[in-house]
Amino acid sequence: MEYQPTIVSFLCNWCSYTGADLAGTSRTKYAPNIRIVRVMCSGRVDPTFVMKAFREGADGVLICGCHPGDCHYHEGNYKCLRRYHLIRKYIEQMGISPERLRLEWISASEGKQFAELADEMTADLLKLGPVNIKNVLEEV
Amino acid sequence: MEEPRIGVYVCWCGTNISKTVDVEQVTAAVSKLPHVIIARNYKYMCSDPGQDLILKDIREHQLNRVVVSACSPRIHELTFRKVLVNAGLNPYLFEMANIREQVSWVHDDRDIATGKATSLVKAAIQRVAHHEPLEKRRVDIHPATLIIGGGITGLTAAMEIADSGNQVHLIEKSGRLGGMVSLLHQTHPHLTAGNELIQPLIDKAQPHPKVRVWLNSQIEEVTGYVGNFRARIRSGEEVEELDCGNIIVATGTKPFDPSQIPEYGYGMLPGVITSLEFEEMLRKGKIVTKDGESPCDIAIIHCVGSRNMEYHPYCSRVCCTTALKFANQIRAALPDAGIYQLYADMRSFGKGCEEFYMRTSRRGVIFMMFDQKGKLPVVKPNNTGGRGRLLISTRELLSGEEIEIPADLVILMVASEAREDARETAHLTGISLCGNQFFIEKHPKLDPVATTTDGVFIAGSCQGPKDIADSVSQARAAAARVLASILCGSVEVEVTTAVVNDKVCCGCQTCISVCPYHAIHFDEEKRVSEVNEILCKGCGTCGSACPTGAIHARHFTDDQILSQIEGLLSPITLKAMEMAMED
Amino acid sequence: MEPNTKNHKPKLKLAVYWAAACGGCCVSVLDVHEKLYQVTELADLVFWPIALDIKYKDVEALPHGFIDVTLFNGAIRNSENQYMAMLLREKSKIMVAYGSCAHLGGIPGLANFSNREAIFDRVYHTSESTVNSTGTIPLPNVEVPEGTLHIPVFFDEVKPLDKVVCVDYYLPGCPPQTERLLEVFTAIATGAELPSKKSVIGAWDKTQCDECERKKSDKKTIKRFFRPFEVEDDGETCFLEQGILCMGPATRGGCGYRCIKGNAPCRGCYGPPPDVHDPGAKMMSAIGTMIDSNAPEEISEIVDQIADPAGTFYRFSLPASIIRRRIS
Repeated sequence: MEYQPTIVSFLCNWCSYTGADLAGTSRTKYAPNIRIVRVMCSGRVDPTFVMKAFREGADGVLICGCHPGDCHYHEGNYKCLRRYHLIRKYIEQMGISPERLRLEWISASEGKQFAELADEMTADLLKLGPVNIKNVLEEV
Repeated sequence: MEEPRIGVYVCWCGTNISKTVDVEQVTAAVSKLPHVIIARNYKYMCSDPGQDLILKDIREHQLNRVVVSACSPRIHELTFRKVLVNAGLNPYLFEMANIREQVSWVHDDRDIATGKATSLVKAAIQRVAHHEPLEKRRVDIHPATLIIGGGITGLTAAMEIADSGNQVHLIEKSGRLGGMVSLLHQTHPHLTAGNELIQPLIDKAQPHPKVRVWLNSQIEEVTGYVGNFRARIRSGEEVEELDCGNIIVATGTKPFDPSQIPEYGYGMLPGVITSLEFEEMLRKGKIVTKDGESPCDIAIIHCVGSRNMEYHPYCSRVCCTTALKFANQIRAALPDAGIYQLYADMRSFGKGCEEFYMRTSRRGVIFMMFDQKGKLPVVKPNNTGGRGRLLISTRELLSGEEIEIPADLVILMVASEAREDARETAHLTGISLCGNQFFIEKHPKLDPVATTTDGVFIAGSCQGPKDIADSVSQARAAAARVLASILCGSVEVEVTTAVVNDKVCCGCQTCISVCPYHAIHFDEEKRVSEVNEILCKGCGTCGSACPTGAIHARHFTDDQILSQIEGLLSPITLKAMEMAMED
Repeated sequence: MEPNTKNHKPKLKLAVYWAAACGGCCVSVLDVHEKLYQVTELADLVFWPIALDIKYKDVEALPHGFIDVTLFNGAIRNSENQYMAMLLREKSKIMVAYGSCAHLGGIPGLANFSNREAIFDRVYHTSESTVNSTGTIPLPNVEVPEGTLHIPVFFDEVKPLDKVVCVDYYLPGCPPQTERLLEVFTAIATGAELPSKKSVIGAWDKTQCDECERKKSDKKTIKRFFRPFEVEDDGETCFLEQGILCMGPATRGGCGYRCIKGNAPCRGCYGPPPDVHDPGAKMMSAIGTMIDSNAPEEISEIVDQIADPAGTFYRFSLPASIIRRRIS
């Protein structure tokens, strides 16, 4: 079967999840490859979640939070940003292209931007091809 | 933990979900998963019969966990949590899968949508198995209310609350109360004087024993939580802290600066003024040109900065009717003057406004339409020596003709835009901003004056451009919300806070500076961190900053989220679904 | 069996085995010094390749469950390690993963950044000290006139012990602190109540900071990471607060914070505290949070001061992490 990437996306409750809801209420169509996990704040995203998503077969992980300065909890998104840079370096060492992990800011009013992001990341991952982590880890 | 017994309910949402997602197939596919005791689908899960279905199942099948797969939890999570409470279950033993906003409304392919919906439901099932019961807590409400903004909205809310015998602190940044309304000569459509509306309110508020008015004052910091806020207020050199239970933000808007639009020549051509400058002229009692002459022709240009992608995409809502009001006022003062309305679309909505438009159009006012999306009208000095000091050239859309309109005075109906300090105010009070920098309400239809921060309300045009009637309605609505909470005396606070396992906490203190609410402190004696659950707002950032795993973000624990991820990605092949269907 | 007095328990049968390990774990057993007499009073050593001349065939000949306790140290690198793990599991009542390598994969586990092919290429072809004009590499089976010679199959991936057999207890450390070994051993030998199966013994639930006596505050913000040689440690302030990476907060106590006492930051050999889903992620998350900047470029620069995040956070635990090995 033709390769279709799977993206796990962690969205903060106040901005990005609401933005994704807005894409829905506005009936903005986007690639169905993205699957959403709601967290209260992007600052809750633990590297463990990112690793788990890749381990279970995600081809990409997308973290979305409020725009800088707009975090509902003041600066959780900055905590996320700092960890994100470290996680990217780590996954690169583990042979997972850092391009497969993205952190983007989506506000509650940016339904359209969320939909575009989902499409764009899906297209990028189609070019990158699958991670095939299960094949690699399960054959040994 | 008891063995999970999960009931799963897939909603059709009429055709909203069922048109794109095969709800039968989703139901069948998840019905055989571990711990799932019963899986059903129904036309409208949120309806009374839908809720009853869950209630009955909980009792009949001794369910101890429930998953509803329907719309966004932001809409109906509370509805379904109540069902669990009614059935005697803890409301947190519930999870929603959002298969409408995230699936049926955004995807077209039925097979793919059904597969994705199944994954989301499966994730919710795996997550809910790890849910723990959480106990709600109540905190007392401090009876004082802080109102930010002394315009008609703030004043109305202040009087409503103060008249019921509760203390109000009314904070005004400028040196006077009354806001925008006190700048208006008359208001549409009844031509009531602005002063007539606002002055009685000011006169009542100033001496009111329950209202403390703070002029030239600003909020510097707000700490605390619903029922128990503490605000630091600066008035000049003086700083004072005050306690309050609720906050109403009514900071209003500011007028758009039209000098950004080169076509209109504002700031360059003396005859071009803004709608607010014209109000001032009206208040002074004489319509005159810069050099004190009575104008023969007056043009009013609409949508200045509004409904224009280059400036503001939204409609400012009051300009069309204000422009009609101006026409009436001009006609009354200058019976022979030429009055030209250059509009993009006439939007005279609202009670009595369309009638006002009809009346105005019979008073010798010429309406001309221009193309807001194409070339804007251009105002320039009239050097021909003919009528009018200025000439406006535009393509009249209805006739299709290029025309030139003479004018001695050009009034620009400027947009209402968010105040430059909106972002700062939002930060201080924990409100979110929309793309246009206006404050975001909790729900646009169902909860228009609440915000995502409990105890913080918004009213008036800081939420979006509004006329006086709408602002006053919101002021009274916000006041009613505040009074209800004061009357109740206490409020339920979020229990999805962080908690430290002191058997594991090593006392490294990494978490302490992570918390934006100073909710974590280090107990020197026990040598562990402790979370003040009242101050904690449940963002969970400390949970992922803790190097030992000692901090649990309740309802968003590692176990819960990791199981959800596993569920999201566990392969659900079409074959498995077919097999489930055959069973 | 020797005649015993009534209240004298029969002596324990003890085995110690090393798989992919440096030998340090066996030395840590020897480190009991004169207490060895205490041990031999309570136990008979039935198998210990570095000390006793007992062959694999002798172990194979033992009845199932004959050995009471096996202290298995070392990771699983090749088929011999795996065979012996399975054999000793079958022969032992209690299987203890002894030391970091058996517990989490340990230092040999860092080979999971590579794979068999690349390792062979480096070792047998490209390394500066290799002279191998015939390009010979080890083959599991080689035909010679006398028959077929077998050597163990080198696996593509290093695994901790519990990936190949069921483990009863984990005794962490590189190597485990000898006192902990003695405590655990005495508990087993005297029939004291043992913790539930699969748990870590001989280490605390609390991490290093709980015992560490360096001055700690809530000022854990880092603008620049230093490697220990780049900065003068003041000898009394928390390493992290001086910008030196210390795995202490995320590493179980039990070693007596020996490295920190010796003015070296903790490297994490005692492994993560209980209920942690990935051995390095929590510390990575904590360190990320401490970075004192909100500007993407600056954050990136600060992160780049951590030369080898994966090797730092998973120095002893890569094979036991969620993404066990390099994927491509």
